[in-house]
Amino acid sequence: MRIGQKEAGMSMSVTDLLRRSELFYALTPEQIEQIIDLGQEKVYNARDIIIEEGDPSDEIYIVCQGMVEVEVSQGVVPDVPGRLQVNPIVRLGRGQVFGEMGLIDRGARSATVRCAEDGTTLFVVPRQALVGLCEGNHDIGYIVMRNIAADLSFKLRHRNLQMGLAGEEV
Amino acid sequence: MIYKVSYVVVGEQHPGEIVNQDLPPEVGDPVTLGGEEFEIVEIIDLAPPRGDFAYLHATCKPV
Repeated sequence: MRIGQKEAGMSMSVTDLLRRSELFYALTPEQIEQIIDLGQEKVYNARDIIIEEGDPSDEIYIVCQGMVEVEVSQGVVPDVPGRLQVNPIVRLGRGQVFGEMGLIDRGARSATVRCAEDGTTLFVVPRQALVGLCEGNHDIGYIVMRNIAADLSFKLRHRNLQMGLAGEEV
Repeated sequence: MIYKVSYVVVGEQHPGEIVNQDLPPEVGDPVTLGGEEFEIVEIIDLAPPRGDFAYLHATCKPV
């Protein structure tokens, strides 16, 4: 997303950017550092597949900068046996979290996430390490799970509005 | 304040975007979503604020 002159500068460190993600809302700086210690930055280029629908869920991702696109398969492409038709359902930019469903239910990836811009920087936290921290420190665990629930709720509201508005006339 | 904004395009199958930004979007603002140009036609509160986070929805139309 670009919003003309309203786009913020990108001089913040990854730590500062992560502190501005909703996943970390209401955590103390020390608690945030504990989570940051679990993960690492990864940089992707446009069209890179970050996670693939159906794969095991081993990590949770936070967009530090750049953009990713989430897409789900919808049957097969007509006249092309075996090739799945994909449907983009949302693009996620700075501060957004994905891969969180697998953190909660340990199910397979529900969607494919593809990098949409060169140089997109993600912070990647191994699922098992984050679960271990949340189970060992219930103060952190409660806040992180509440923040993930709030994020999932926001995404559902976005999806509901998207489906409702797609058919409206401009 | 951090503005978590849901951008949705009216009348298209566009996936829209969710981003955190430092300034609130306003009606009439131009936005680029996935390389396409749009204009914001409506802003609503999607949920009550929590701490430093405000939750907004912006409806956009093609320009």
